[in-house]
Amino acid sequence: MKARISDLKRFAVHDGDGIRTTVFFKGCSLRCVWCHNPEGISFTPQIAYYENKCIGCGECVMHCRHGGHICTDTAHLYRRESCIGCGACVSACLGDALTFYGKEVTVDELLPLLLEDREFYETTNGGVTLSGGECLMQAQFCGELLHRLKEEGIHTAVDTCGFVPRTALDTVIPWTDVFLYDLKAYDEDVHIRCTGQSNRLILDNLRYLDSLGTQTEIRIPYVPGYNDDQIDRIAGFVKSLHNVRRVKVLPYHNYAGSKYAALGMTNTLPENLPSDEEIRLAQEKF
Amino acid sequence: MEYIHDTDYAYITEKFRDLTNRSHTSNRFVRNDALFAESTGLTSDEILEGIRKQDSTLTHLSHPVRKAKAFAYVLEHTRINCDSRDRFPAIHMIDRPLNKTVIAAWNNEVFTKIIPEVNPVRSAMEKNAIATMWTDYDHSVPYWDRILPLGFAGILRESEEARETRETITPDMSAFYDGIKITYEAILHFLGRLEKQAEAQNNPRLAAALRNLQTDAPGTFYEALLTDYLYFMLSEHIEGLQARSLSNFDRVFYPFYRKDLAAGITEEEIREDLAYFFLQFMSIGNYWGQPVYLGGCTEDEGTVVNELSYLFLDVYDRMGIYNPKLQIKVAASTPKPFLQKALDMIRRGNSSIVFVSDATMRTALMRAGASAEEARMCDVKGCYEYNIRGAVDIGMNYVNLLKPLEFALHQGHDGVSGAFMGLDCCPAEGYTDFDAFLTEYKRQLSHIIDTVIETVNIFEDYLDTINPQSLLSAAFPNCIRTGRDALGGGAANNVSGMMFGFMADAADSLANIRKYVFERKMLSLTELRDMLDADFAGNEKWRRIFLADPDKYGNNKDLPDGIAADIADFICGQVNGRPNAKRRGGTWAPGFHVARMSYNWANQTASSANGRKRGEELSKNLSASMGMNREGATAAILSITKIDATKFASDACLDLGLLPSAVQGDDGLEAMYGLLATFLRRNGHAMHINVFSADTLRQAQKEPEKYKDLQIRVCGWNVLFNQICKVEQDAFIRQAESLV
Repeated sequence: MKARISDLKRFAVHDGDGIRTTVFFKGCSLRCVWCHNPEGISFTPQIAYYENKCIGCGECVMHCRHGGHICTDTAHLYRRESCIGCGACVSACLGDALTFYGKEVTVDELLPLLLEDREFYETTNGGVTLSGGECLMQAQFCGELLHRLKEEGIHTAVDTCGFVPRTALDTVIPWTDVFLYDLKAYDEDVHIRCTGQSNRLILDNLRYLDSLGTQTEIRIPYVPGYNDDQIDRIAGFVKSLHNVRRVKVLPYHNYAGSKYAALGMTNTLPENLPSDEEIRLAQEKF
Repeated sequence: MEYIHDTDYAYITEKFRDLTNRSHTSNRFVRNDALFAESTGLTSDEILEGIRKQDSTLTHLSHPVRKAKAFAYVLEHTRINCDSRDRFPAIHMIDRPLNKTVIAAWNNEVFTKIIPEVNPVRSAMEKNAIATMWTDYDHSVPYWDRILPLGFAGILRESEEARETRETITPDMSAFYDGIKITYEAILHFLGRLEKQAEAQNNPRLAAALRNLQTDAPGTFYEALLTDYLYFMLSEHIEGLQARSLSNFDRVFYPFYRKDLAAGITEEEIREDLAYFFLQFMSIGNYWGQPVYLGGCTEDEGTVVNELSYLFLDVYDRMGIYNPKLQIKVAASTPKPFLQKALDMIRRGNSSIVFVSDATMRTALMRAGASAEEARMCDVKGCYEYNIRGAVDIGMNYVNLLKPLEFALHQGHDGVSGAFMGLDCCPAEGYTDFDAFLTEYKRQLSHIIDTVIETVNIFEDYLDTINPQSLLSAAFPNCIRTGRDALGGGAANNVSGMMFGFMADAADSLANIRKYVFERKMLSLTELRDMLDADFAGNEKWRRIFLADPDKYGNNKDLPDGIAADIADFICGQVNGRPNAKRRGGTWAPGFHVARMSYNWANQTASSANGRKRGEELSKNLSASMGMNREGATAAILSITKIDATKFASDACLDLGLLPSAVQGDDGLEAMYGLLATFLRRNGHAMHINVFSADTLRQAQKEPEKYKDLQIRVCGWNVLFNQICKVEQDAFIRQAESLV
């Protein structure tokens, strides 16, 4: 069995307890306007082209069989419409200007990479986090990977938006120590406006996890003008749960702007950033 | 500045230098002449002339006695200032007058008349950036465990007692004890001069302390600070020997602190004295920083960390300074909250702190022959070096690990100058496989090591002839017991250090040679050699391939890490335990720090097979090549700790860069602690951390006036970002850009 991932990040310190390695799976079931991992939205492999890093070596042209790259003396044109996402140009690029998102990996390939930082997990009660995109869109793979990690004694976390079938949750629950569960809005209409989907399934899934005694950490992205009026309602909902060990209000940031451009995607990032004071006040509600 | 009155701050910061003269930012010997009244002594030129004149009448006497008399002459005649705005006196003649007179004369005599064969060798080696062999007097730690409990008067008394109880005494021993007597009597007399000056300048507290120190040991925390400061000034600025630590502060000063509190002195008063003490060193402004260390283990393996340790950090933090620089000796018993406080300071930008492993240092020292107790009580000094107390390290022998590569590719010739500096060997096309090439690399490295040892051993026989150390030796128990100068074999441990630089560049280059030349056969070694000789001109593609290759040391990759560990093992086998100069009777030890050689040698080191072009900075300490730590902090730690730092009793430092976003909040602090804890668990030796983002550094470069306080951890010390040259700034920006 293989999974399609967009990245693997070591020394991840804000994806659960301690020092962790986070696997970012490709493909997401929501379309959040503030998404800071746009490479994780589509399940299809993608190539990001960072124009400022291109040194004009022309290696990509030579390695692409599909006419995806055209280099002249003065310009490099990446023709996304011709690209089949094989990634041949990425490994040939000498300027670090191309990045491939969508590598296919097996559990056996991933596991040794995830175990490299085992000692750091041990000294900090850290571990491995599966994230995305929405990792549970590839739930069978996640289940197998988490199972193997638990056999190795590694702490596991699943970072999910919750917009997944109940069966996907059931697949990973036995091997998951904590769910990092995103709540973006309580009101359904707000949720639809922000993510393109209803949140009924998300809230139901969270209640389900809670009813099983599963440990959860609620994560709320705080995006001024989008969901900043939802904090009280989310807080009210969270109070009705019994196994929430922590709630984190995460300040929205717009660092991902260059990634949208590099991926040829329309940048949907909101402009307004929250102040430290707004975050503090929101966090106080929990 | 917190704790310091505004008018006092202005006076003290100008005390050691004329701040209007910005051309001397790294010169610690630029004093502010205007602060010293003519009536208090002679001019600098008059003193230098006076020393020469006096010494010309003393040529029948021994060097220790002549030097001590020159020392006494300076203390008798230097201008002084005990301004009431300060708690520590100002001494005018701080530009190492003895180094300019007697020491310079004896140095010249030794190197031109007695051992003329040395200088041609060392100048050729340095000119070609192969190795330095500097005459080094600057890496010892005063024996604070005797100096502070005994005071100057007590040290003199014990030295005289030791002389009197000897059954036999040789002329050399007589000279040794005479030198101490003259030196310490001159100090006591000088304290009297200072006392009178303090009274005249309406500084009664200083006067009272100076009065007491003329006869007794320091009795209060303030008097202990004053003793520490005065000893430092006399040693580093007059005697001609750096004091490479101000002590294991929280252990040595703790009894004074407790005694003061019991006597009703408030903690606030102690904080203020400490702040004024710190400000002296900030104002002196040694470019490479003035070290002092905290922590370690007690006899029962408990922690040395106490209330004074926290107070020290807190005062330092509130002042926002970076000099003196701090080392924290971390043991299993060191309290986590204490380390977290230090880590929090670092992430807020006060990065002048390095963590050193108590366990690693102890194991390494014991392997090198120290007793368990000596190892436990070892001093940390300089940037992150260490040795047992009462030891003398001579260690300004840097070796360039890329030069053996140049020699192996050019039949023993230097890759830049073309000079024949290595051993003759086969031409580039003659190597049949990688093992043969690596063997030749090691043979060439071994040749450099042998040359350094043979050359340095010759002149280290004369260190105490050139620069006898009465001030230092008097407090070393072993010197007093044996009647021998610390530089002439009297110290408890007499080490000569060889510092190997640019390990990451060498390992990455060898990894690429193995992969592209011998395994994939994509280019011949001759082609590679020609490519490097031409600085990759016309071969930019290959340079990019070399740079892009993922097998880079510092990323937990088996190939380059294995090569680095193999080279380190080879070096240990070649250097550890080799005898140094006969007169010193000690041994050699390897280490891996490079100070500023990463920049100093960049132009004289040929382009290398890791994609580095000639002129680009070389890798620092045991860290990844510049910008090549692609897998982040954890991988960097895993790589460096594959080199067994317990195999050599010297430094193995990791320079870690972290992004501000990674260390935010409680999670970030816990992660920093986790990195440190894992590093120590894996027997790492020393780790320091820069927390910066490329954006901030770029802004600081553009608008320096807005980032006046931005400090950067260089190679074992901190500087203001705005005070380093653009080349170094750009290097830090590149490092920050590569952080993940």
